[in-house]
Amino acid sequence: MRLTYTDTQQAFRAEVREWLAANVPPAPLLTLECEEGYHQHVGWERQLASGNWGMVTWPESYGGRGLDLVEWLIFEEEYWGSGAPLRVNQNGIFLLGPTIMEYGTPEQKARFLTPMAAGEVIWAQAWSEPGAGSDMAAIKTTAYRDGDHYVINGQKTWSSRASFADWGFGLFRTEEGSQRHKGLSFILFDLDTPGITRRPIRQLHGHPGFAELFFDDVRVPVENRLAGEGEGWNVAMATAGFERGLMLRSPGRFQAAARRLVELFRQHEAAAAPSAREAVMRAWMDTQAYAYNTYGVAAKIMAGGKIGAEASLNKIFWSELDRAMHRTAMQLLGAAAELRHLSDGAINDWLEGYMFSLSGPIYAGSNEIQRNITAERLLGLPRVGAG
Amino acid sequence: MDMLISSERLELAEAVRDYLSGTHGAEVLRRLDAGPNRDPAIWQGLVDMGLTGLLVPEAQGGLGMGLLDAALIARECGRVCLAEPLVESAFVATPWLIAQGQTGDLAAIVAGTHRPVAAHTINGWVADGEGEAIASIDPLRRLAALPEAASDDPLLLDLGALMSAAQLVGLAEAMLDQAVDYAKLRTQFGQPVGAFQAIKHKLADVAVALEFARPVLWRAAQALEDGAGSAALHVSHAKVVATDAAYLAAESAIQVHGAMGYTYEVDLHFWMKRAWALGGAWGARAFHLARIDTAVIGGAHPIGPENTFA
Repeated sequence: MRLTYTDTQQAFRAEVREWLAANVPPAPLLTLECEEGYHQHVGWERQLASGNWGMVTWPESYGGRGLDLVEWLIFEEEYWGSGAPLRVNQNGIFLLGPTIMEYGTPEQKARFLTPMAAGEVIWAQAWSEPGAGSDMAAIKTTAYRDGDHYVINGQKTWSSRASFADWGFGLFRTEEGSQRHKGLSFILFDLDTPGITRRPIRQLHGHPGFAELFFDDVRVPVENRLAGEGEGWNVAMATAGFERGLMLRSPGRFQAAARRLVELFRQHEAAAAPSAREAVMRAWMDTQAYAYNTYGVAAKIMAGGKIGAEASLNKIFWSELDRAMHRTAMQLLGAAAELRHLSDGAINDWLEGYMFSLSGPIYAGSNEIQRNITAERLLGLPRVGAG
Repeated sequence: MDMLISSERLELAEAVRDYLSGTHGAEVLRRLDAGPNRDPAIWQGLVDMGLTGLLVPEAQGGLGMGLLDAALIARECGRVCLAEPLVESAFVATPWLIAQGQTGDLAAIVAGTHRPVAAHTINGWVADGEGEAIASIDPLRRLAALPEAASDDPLLLDLGALMSAAQLVGLAEAMLDQAVDYAKLRTQFGQPVGAFQAIKHKLADVAVALEFARPVLWRAAQALEDGAGSAALHVSHAKVVATDAAYLAAESAIQVHGAMGYTYEVDLHFWMKRAWALGGAWGARAFHLARIDTAVIGGAHPIGPENTFA
């Protein structure tokens, strides 16, 4: 264990800080959940890519910098510390990208990774269906083979980014009559393919952040399948591991929110409830603990280890600390909590953030499912229900 | 930057774990509780492993290891609810004496014939001291009146708080294990109670608390070992989260045990009572939160994503 950065790491941090200081938009962008804000965020992705900052851990041949996970964490710390925008491409770079890196053919890597890092193609995920939420193995949407194509029929829902994104990825039932985890394949598809209908769904905050997708005889080339036919479940679990375990929610984002919460508390200290004081300290403690843990996971992966079921612990922790931080902010704001704009005219980010934080314990596998996984796979308690 | 604990450091802790799990089971706790609650043979076993000299420099006959090593082993002592005063003597009092330049007794400390006690004014008493006995709810804890010569040195306090946090993590891990074992065995409504989600989710919460207490503990131990200026803050952080995890583990474990948990017949009570004792010792929650308050809300410590390891 060594708690200091090397000179190279320090120099990298300085380089990131300098670039962000010169490039981060001075005024906040509109929310990426509305059409105009989405396009603003795509523009920001392309600006990031112009400096080769799209995904620093990827090889240079795909537009990355070939850096290690500690350097990625340094980048993330500076990124969130600078107040840079949310990443509209997170489904691509943090979830699908690492999955393609592991399971993709050389052709798929060349075809999908470079435009992903460049911000030219923005990805939506398509996991859930009306009857397959927490029970994802209940997927019914079919993709049956017809020559060189799969023909997709069915429906996906809660598809993040799908209202505006370019491409989607998800699990489809490719074997007729197959059950549960078997007979599923991981397929990538252009969202503008004929036969796909997108129905934007209005979220809590009023914007169409996700969508329903209807598939009506949608023809997708066979070469868009990732890994073998019928192997989709294992590929999806690897993606979910990245999602819960390391990449989707790097600690910097929460540490930045904790710092803003401390500042908010200082402004409202005179009127704050005693419990708010401890909740603010708890925000610092939890976000720091999360950061130390993430550095530990990164070190473990760099030493050749893998993320296992402990990813579930991670997901429970970050989603619930995020909700608690924003709840504390809502309480500190008092009557102003309901206002969409604060007195200086700026968006009430704490309110927006609180609404978003309520989704954390639900998406990427609800926290109830994560607690089941923890109990069964880490603690060894008996399994119940369908396997 | 490397948050991984090296395999060399883990090896010694694993050897201690193997030794203690083989020699210091719950039956030993019951035997000590029924008798004089200290056992020279157990102490000698710890001496023979070199643990009394763990933090004593090699030149003085010790192992010359660091506070992270000691914290790793203190956690193992917590796991088995060790009654002998190894942690407070060898991992708290001894490094403090060395830091004070008081090195005259080191040979006897390594040999296990001299056990220094760590008397600090933050505690109202001293564990395994010489003075008038004071009763603790922990039947294996020996408390004595605080001597007049008790120190108020902050380093001693930080050593005591860090090593208490390490034991609390081990205690919590052991209580979680006991609850899991019981939940697999006990059946109601025709199935193990551990198959019910109400039980699973309760125990999963303990696993979460521990998963995110451990890295805080190791980070604090390394900071104190390095003599970092912010070490006191990180020790306080570790003490608070370890105390919270231990209380959560204890309350969850007793609940999972049902009425059995409320008896003296199930061994859980030894661990639970030690957790209550160590949670309050070396600065209770309020003391450590006040230090965090000054640093974080008061602005004495830089916070935010660029300052993860400040």
